[in-house]
Parts: sequence; C-alpha cells; structure tokens
Amino acid sequence: MNHLIERYLQAISRELPANQQEDILKELRSSLYDTLEGEGDGEPTEERVVALIKEMGSPRQVAAAYYPAGQYVIGPALYPMFITVLKIVLVTILSVQALLVGLSFGVAVTTRSLIQELFGLLGALPAAAGWVVLIFWAIQRFEPKAIPEEEIFDPRKLPALESYNEPVSRFEQIFSIVVNVIALAFLWNFAQSGVLTGIEGLAFFQNPVIVQFFPWLFASSVLDIVIDIVLLWRGRWETRTRVAGILFNLFSLVVLFVMFEGHSAWLRAEGISESLVIWTQDPEFFFTNAQATGMILFRMGFAIAILIIGVETAVYTYKLIRRRMNAPISPVTGLVSAHR
Amino acid sequence: MIENSAQPEAYDKIALELRRGVLILAALSQLKENKYGYALISQLAENGLDIDQGTLYPLLRRLESQGLLDSNWIVEDSRPRRYYVLNATGKQVLDALVQEWRTLTNVMETLLKETEQPR
Repeated sequence: MNHLIERYLQAISRELPANQQEDILKELRSSLYDTLEGEGDGEPTEERVVALIKEMGSPRQVAAAYYPAGQYVIGPALYPMFITVLKIVLVTILSVQALLVGLSFGVAVTTRSLIQELFGLLGALPAAAGWVVLIFWAIQRFEPKAIPEEEIFDPRKLPALESYNEPVSRFEQIFSIVVNVIALAFLWNFAQSGVLTGIEGLAFFQNPVIVQFFPWLFASSVLDIVIDIVLLWRGRWETRTRVAGILFNLFSLVVLFVMFEGHSAWLRAEGISESLVIWTQDPEFFFTNAQATGMILFRMGFAIAILIIGVETAVYTYKLIRRRMNAPISPVTGLVSAHR
Repeated sequence: MIENSAQPEAYDKIALELRRGVLILAALSQLKENKYGYALISQLAENGLDIDQGTLYPLLRRLESQGLLDSNWIVEDSRPRRYYVLNATGKQVLDALVQEWRTLTNVMETLLKETEQPR
C-alpha cells in the first residue's frame, strides 16, 4: 500500500470545513511535496514519508487547527448560560411531571400505570436536555452575536455574599419533593373517594379525619414542594429561606398536631386503645377491625412526622441564630473582623 | 535541573505556550516580502525557530482573516503555491508588536537578572 500523502490528504479533507476544503488541501499538498523535495532528489522513501506525516500530526489534529472558534457544541462564552437554562428546564419538567404523575396516581391507581408514569418522567429529562443543547448549538452556530460580550461590569451589582450560607442538599430536597408528591397522590385519592384505597383500587378503610382536614394537609404538601423547588433553585440557604422554612414547619406542626389529635379523638370515641398493644392482646383485631388498625397506624405516622419536623425546625432555628451571631463583617469589603 | 516526574510535563507545556506566543510575531516579521508557507518554515528554521506545517498554515489563514495578510496563488514549476505578504494594516500591527516585544524583553531581562543573583 502506498500513495501515503494523497491518502493522508484525503483523510484530512473529511474533517475540514467544506467551504475551505479545496483551498487548504491545495496548500498542504504543495507544502508536503516541497518538504520532500527540499530534502533531496529522487523518489522519497516510504520511511521518510511516514516520518513527515507523523511530524505533521493525525488528520483530525491537522484539521482541528483550521477551526478558529474551536470544535465544540457549546463554547465557553455560552456555557454558563447553558447550565443555568438546563437547570431551570430540568427542575421545571421534573416538578410538573412529578405533580402530574402524583395526580394521575391518585385518580387511577394501578401499579403498572405508576411504573409507566415514572419511566415516562425519567424519559422526558434526556429529551428536554437534548433540546436545550440543540438550541444553544444553533445560537452558537448561526447567531454568534447572541453570545454575551464582556458586560459593563459594576462591582456594586455583584451577588450578595454567600460564604456563610450553607449549601442546600439536592438529594434531601428531591427526596422531599418525591415524598410530598406521593403524599399528595394519596390525599387526592382520599378527596375523591373518602376511602383509603390500596393497589387495584380496592377500598381499604375510611378515614374521616383526613377527609375533614383535607385542604390543610393538601396546602401543607404543596407549600413544602414550593419551598423545596425554591431551595433547589437558589442552591444555598439564605436568611429568608430559613425563616420561610421555619414558618412552614410551624404551620405543618399545627396541621399534624390537629391530625394527631383528630385520630386520638376518633379512637377514644370508638372506645379503642390508641396503641398497637391491642394486637398482642387480640391478633385477629387487624382482620376484624381494619379501620381501627388504620387509624392507629395513621396516628403513629403523624406522631413520627411531628417528631421529625420538630427536630428539623429546631435545627433550622439553631442554624439561623448561629448565622446571625457570626463575627461582624466589614460592610465595605465583607471581611470577617476576627480575620482582619 | 528538572528533578521529579511531574516537572518535565509541566515544563513542556509552559515552554510550548511560550513559543506559541512568539510564533505570530516571528511569522509576521518575515512576511514583509511575498512568501509561501514552506519557504517561511525554512527561513524560520534557518534562524533557529522550528514551526511545524500543521501550526503554520492555520496560523497564516487566521492572520489573513484578521486582515493582516494578503495572499495569492502563483504556479511555479507546475506546483501551485499560496504566497502571503503583510498588507498596510499588517505592517502597522507588526510595528506595534515589535515595540511591545522590546518593552517585554527589557522588563524580562530585569526580572530574570534578579534570579541570577547568587543566594
């Protein structure tokens, strides 16, 4: 096999911008033959040609040097904006889809539809990300003027100092959104039928307390989702989000306490023990009185939720106070006094 | 001089960047007269500055698209060659760059002298 130089040029041509291909190849060809000629008379040896080509670099490497703006889908100038837009799009889609899945789960409950919906939800994310990439690629390719130039920089407009703001745990927020969406689905189901239904839509037991306080529980879950989305968006805890978190938790605690008490009152009215000890005394109780068992379990669930949210509220409050008590900061430079 | 294994790699990268910065000025300085790529490479090599073809040709095109060089094809010995030459703007830019270079080399000389002082 030979014709090395022509094969090399052919390989380069496949990587070159089409409008300059012919011109660039003509120049490279004449230069390669000039180099060989400059080294001596007569037919060059194969070793010499191989060495020359190696010295010049792989076809891809040679062609890449002819793309002045570099070969990337989204360049450094657009990249920060791309990441911001991508985050907004993905979080929005995830939230809206999760809400829709939750609602559809509440209306038509089958395990298969839930799994299908969850897969659909995951499938939507890569597609959305793909569209964002495509749009940014098009902006870069066809509208180079849209790429932000160096803006007139004003130090006074720099974002507020966030070094003392704790980063938000994405996992925690997303987990919380998922839990709330599932809770919303159950609540929606209750609101529709007044009955807790299991898989396949079979009536399980009635819970008059949840039906009674449904709007409050629903509001609590929706508010929590809103706060989680805001936190995901901001990325860091700020004073206002901490305060909002504490106020929301206090609201939730009141709702949960009312629910807890509602269940206790119901059980007392029915003359049933509030604890699960009843099972050890009467193992048949679960089968004979499913509703009472459900009410006892729900009451326990609310007690656990009160405990968790209570601890969370205490932690939020502690962190807010600790932040307030930080060493004084120089108003002009932002330097902490102790470090001065 | 270069002792551990991480340093030669770092040295290579820095030396490459240093040379790359100088190449534009070197090429412009030799294009007051019409010259084609291979002749320019040979001339620079004779003066001790090696530049490979894969670097020079894209560089020449970039300088042309920046409006500093003019080019035209001339067929010699049945071989077409693209000749490059500084235009009026290119000459002005070269003069300014030479000034800049001289200032820089003076500053660097002063700075580097300090490192030569015995400790």
